[in-house]
Amino acid sequence: MIRLLKRYWRVIRRPSVHYSLGFLTVGGFIGGVLFWGGFNTALEATNTEAFCIGCHEMHDNVYRELQPTIHFSNRSGVRATCPDCHVPHRWTAKIARKMQASKEVWGKIFGTVDTPEKFENMRLALAMNEWRRLKANNSLECRNCHDFQSMDFTRQSPRAQTAHSTSLASGERTCIDCHIGIAHRLPDLADAHRLAEKHGGPHVLPALVGGTPREEAQRQE
Amino acid sequence: MKLTRREFFKQSAALSTATAAGIPATAGAANIVTDAALTKLQWSKAPCRFCGVGCGVNVAVRDGKVVATHGDINAEVNRGINCVKGYFLSKIMYGADRLTEPLLRMKDGKYDKNGELQPVSWDRAFDVMAEQFKKALRDKGPTSVGMFGSGQWTIWEGYAAAKLLKAGFRSNNIDPNARHCMASAVAGFMRTFGMDEPMGCYDDIENGQVFVLWGANMAEMHPILWSRITDRRLSSPQSRVVTLSVYENRSYDLADLTLTFRPQTDLAIMNYIANHIIRSGAVNRGFVDRHARFMVGNTDIGYGLRPENPLQKARNVADPGGGKPATFEEYAAFVSRYDLDSVAELSRVPRQRLEQLAQLYADPKTPVMSLFTMGFNQHTRGTWCSHLLYNLHLLTGKIAAPGNGPFSLTGQPSACGTAREVGTFSHRLPADMVVTNPKHRETAETIWKLPPGTIPDKPGYHAVQQNRMLKDGKLNAYWVMCNNNMQAAPNIVEEAWPGYRNPDNFIVVSDAYPTVTTVAADLVLPTAMWVEKEGAYGNAERRTQFWHQLVSAPGQARSDLWQIMEFSKRFRMEEVWPAELLDKAPNYRGKTLYDVLFRNGEVDKFPASQVEAGYANDEAKAFGFYVQKGLFEEYARFGRGHGHDLAPFDAYHQARGLRWPVVDGKETRWRYREGYDPYVKAGEDVNFYGMPDGKAVIYALPYEPAAEEPDKDYPFWLCTGRVLEHWHSGSMTRRVPELYRAFPDAVCYMHPDDARRLGLRRGDDIEISSRRGAMRTRVETRGRNKPPPGLIFVPWFDAGQLINKVTLDATCPISLQTDFKKCAVQIRKV
Amino acid sequence: MRILISVGLAALCATAALAQHIDNARGPVPVMEEHAPPPLQNPDNSDVRRQRAYAMQPPIIPHKIEGYQTDRNANRCMMCHARTRTEQSQAPMISVSHFTDRDGNFLAELSPRRYFCLQCHVPQVPVKPLVENRYIDVETMLRRGGSASTLPGRE
Repeated sequence: MIRLLKRYWRVIRRPSVHYSLGFLTVGGFIGGVLFWGGFNTALEATNTEAFCIGCHEMHDNVYRELQPTIHFSNRSGVRATCPDCHVPHRWTAKIARKMQASKEVWGKIFGTVDTPEKFENMRLALAMNEWRRLKANNSLECRNCHDFQSMDFTRQSPRAQTAHSTSLASGERTCIDCHIGIAHRLPDLADAHRLAEKHGGPHVLPALVGGTPREEAQRQE
Repeated sequence: MKLTRREFFKQSAALSTATAAGIPATAGAANIVTDAALTKLQWSKAPCRFCGVGCGVNVAVRDGKVVATHGDINAEVNRGINCVKGYFLSKIMYGADRLTEPLLRMKDGKYDKNGELQPVSWDRAFDVMAEQFKKALRDKGPTSVGMFGSGQWTIWEGYAAAKLLKAGFRSNNIDPNARHCMASAVAGFMRTFGMDEPMGCYDDIENGQVFVLWGANMAEMHPILWSRITDRRLSSPQSRVVTLSVYENRSYDLADLTLTFRPQTDLAIMNYIANHIIRSGAVNRGFVDRHARFMVGNTDIGYGLRPENPLQKARNVADPGGGKPATFEEYAAFVSRYDLDSVAELSRVPRQRLEQLAQLYADPKTPVMSLFTMGFNQHTRGTWCSHLLYNLHLLTGKIAAPGNGPFSLTGQPSACGTAREVGTFSHRLPADMVVTNPKHRETAETIWKLPPGTIPDKPGYHAVQQNRMLKDGKLNAYWVMCNNNMQAAPNIVEEAWPGYRNPDNFIVVSDAYPTVTTVAADLVLPTAMWVEKEGAYGNAERRTQFWHQLVSAPGQARSDLWQIMEFSKRFRMEEVWPAELLDKAPNYRGKTLYDVLFRNGEVDKFPASQVEAGYANDEAKAFGFYVQKGLFEEYARFGRGHGHDLAPFDAYHQARGLRWPVVDGKETRWRYREGYDPYVKAGEDVNFYGMPDGKAVIYALPYEPAAEEPDKDYPFWLCTGRVLEHWHSGSMTRRVPELYRAFPDAVCYMHPDDARRLGLRRGDDIEISSRRGAMRTRVETRGRNKPPPGLIFVPWFDAGQLINKVTLDATCPISLQTDFKKCAVQIRKV
Repeated sequence: MRILISVGLAALCATAALAQHIDNARGPVPVMEEHAPPPLQNPDNSDVRRQRAYAMQPPIIPHKIEGYQTDRNANRCMMCHARTRTEQSQAPMISVSHFTDRDGNFLAELSPRRYFCLQCHVPQVPVKPLVENRYIDVETMLRRGGSASTLPGRE
């Protein structure tokens, strides 16, 4: 085994006989770009709404629910697509999420949520994944667009002003604590607490469904 | 109310303590009025003015005005809660444009069909009206006069109207708007059980386990019953709710299982379930053999359109209700073609959901209550729908027992009490009797003290036919009471409007507010409403409820009852009855219709002094006797002793309603069932005694397509209906600011994909048109109703947006009820 | 003078024409004609509480509720109006009546028969009423009414 590795090492170390250094450098660079570009293009292709709703599971359930909501149609016509909220924008986190997604491919193949009934049964677990992530990252995917500094409270309704200038400003609460079910139907909340225990406790739940506010949860940890 | 009362007592207690202690009691010195004499409200009971649920309300009166209303905690139906409409009852009588004087269409001081509506006295109004009715009677006979009444009439108003038309004018051209509402349920009950109205009652809800909604959006249309079902579903985890509809609505929010089906395929779905019950061996043979028999009904029966319509070239158009006896085996063979695969394909409901529903019906251990209303009744095969549902309950024996049975919900507060029980239909007499049966006519003539042959033996014009006959100039003197049929009737462009405005016709409309119907009228009569008169309603669970007059009507507004009776004074018997008939009752010569119909020794039996102390009664004051009691007691004679028993008049002013038959002072909750129904003898277990052989009928009936289905030119299904916040045509609820603001105008609910395909956005001004007419409204792609692609839903409450300009006047050929749920339309951006 | 009279007559005629019998719920548009329907409008979102017409009237909803889910899974209204939520939300707590079941017993939580809030509580689109409503609330009547002795028997 070690002999084999040594042999390869020697081959790699040996200078090229037939190709010039320039060619190798430029070719390597182009190859690298091609590989990287291909990889990223493929990655980005899976990162579009069209890809997401290519599966009828997504199209008939979550995408249909999204359409009448403010994240799909609204005054200004700016809208969120699936990956805007569900895929991290930072590269490393994105890759991590994409690796997780391989599990969803299994789900697709084996029809885990291929009927509305099955989807409904999984809804709490699926929602819990998103809540947990957004609680842990301080609603990062919300904040990618909704920048706290850019919020003009005077343009908000009195209720929103109060909530945003207190709980949100102090960090006691994060977006998902209150804005649950803003883009999709809520799951049956009867089992939410039981399931939350499996994921580490009530702090993974948004405050509005009885979760511990983020700040307090962090203190406890 | 509890709180206020408690506060009130607390404050009075404080006050008396203060006085006893020698501290000066200055009522009103504080910023709270505490003087007991001032703050005391007079509370009385009344049923709600709106839907057929029949909730009890308490009404507070102060200085002759209604100042507050709330749900009656002692009312069995609703136990203290109301829906949003019920909570705002206090305001329905106080719209600023109440009609307070008669209005006659005049030019140069004389009646003129093309004149403007101008105020006249009651005398003048009745003079002109009587002249027009007499002219029609003289020229064309009794079939040229008619009346369109209401399931919102009080019991005695409907009874007096039926008597005036059928006995007085000898015309069966009286029909209630209940024809638009639950005629199919009536036909289904009569043909299956031989007796109208549900066997069960609302107590089925608390006793039930599975609730199946067939074409009933109870969350909006029967909110308080829905709250009882919600209570049951959420508080007992084993219970289940199933919703069937042609579009997703608020009732889906509670459902465990939902089936959105292609319009009209409910017929196939029910036959599939029957087939499933038979194939899975779930037929309760003991029950079926003892209590049911089988019939194969006539098919290809047309669509109740005008005879020249090509769709009326159907095989059995002359005998839509016919059929022949069959065996169980023949029935089983008939339904066997409704297999899961073909029905799933036809109805577009996933197989799994159809199967789950069928299993609930088939499982012998699961009680099932099926609730149905307009989705079933307003259907060109509405009577069949009733039959096919009864079949499921009869095959499994899940009927007439607590928690089990089909339940027909009604739309109007007295659709049952007035329209059905009194028999204000063109073919009916009180207590389920019909004009075509000589024995029934004889019974009525005896009770009414009329010579034999007074009541005509042919059914009169039904609701849709009345508008057609107005247009054709065959119905010429016409009185519309307590409804807004220019807004409610189908196909108003081609039928209703030309009918009302036909120069040959004289149209009288009695209403409390201006409506599009009064706008089309030649004479408008201002009418007292709800607690401005003593009244009685009968709700969907056979509960008869009374109320007292609590306030006076504004201006010269008078109750429908006063109008009917006062108008009858204008006719001498010689003017309305032929000489041959009068020869049989010579003592009626020289008398008026009023004398014969209402001063007959029965109606005028009870003196005005019997009106409960403390309550006004404008009719008793006007006529000099307790009119309501006399009419009720005479009417009750029709039903007592054979399953329609009503309690004595006075009992109803005490009770929060009683469910008939009331025998020995006891109401009946489950009919046809031993132990509950006094008419079922010991050992019989179940007896469908409405039928001579005591057996209910299981009908074999197929799926047949709708009268008008979408095609290339008119690619959308149009379904119409109501919304929670408005009652019917909105003439009352749109005058209550809170209700108006909650749902101001009609909209067109549409699937977002359809909107996108048509290049439409939410809020766009669109024209919806059919082969008959067009109307304009706005696109709504969000909100409470979510139609599937290819179907739109438009509510009809909005007088500013008349969707019935578009609808088709096709009816169930048996029940003659219009299908307001299905026609084909196109949509165009304006 | 003559001119004045004719102007006056014309004005009179105009008033007579205005007094024409119409259904205010439809407006002056003839029944067989169509007109542009009123635009869709957003409900009031001011959060300002409104006076109730009488004590037992369910309060209207002074804020938008679009997309608020109230179904078997979840009740969005109760996420603010439940007893345990009101401190954080500063929303009014549901009335005590909402804790009683059909038989009048107090329950630990919202009675399921009151689960669907929108059956009684509705948002309001800020539009002018079609017709003025002349309902008078009891308080106004009391203030207007004078002394107790003049009240009974008054028409």
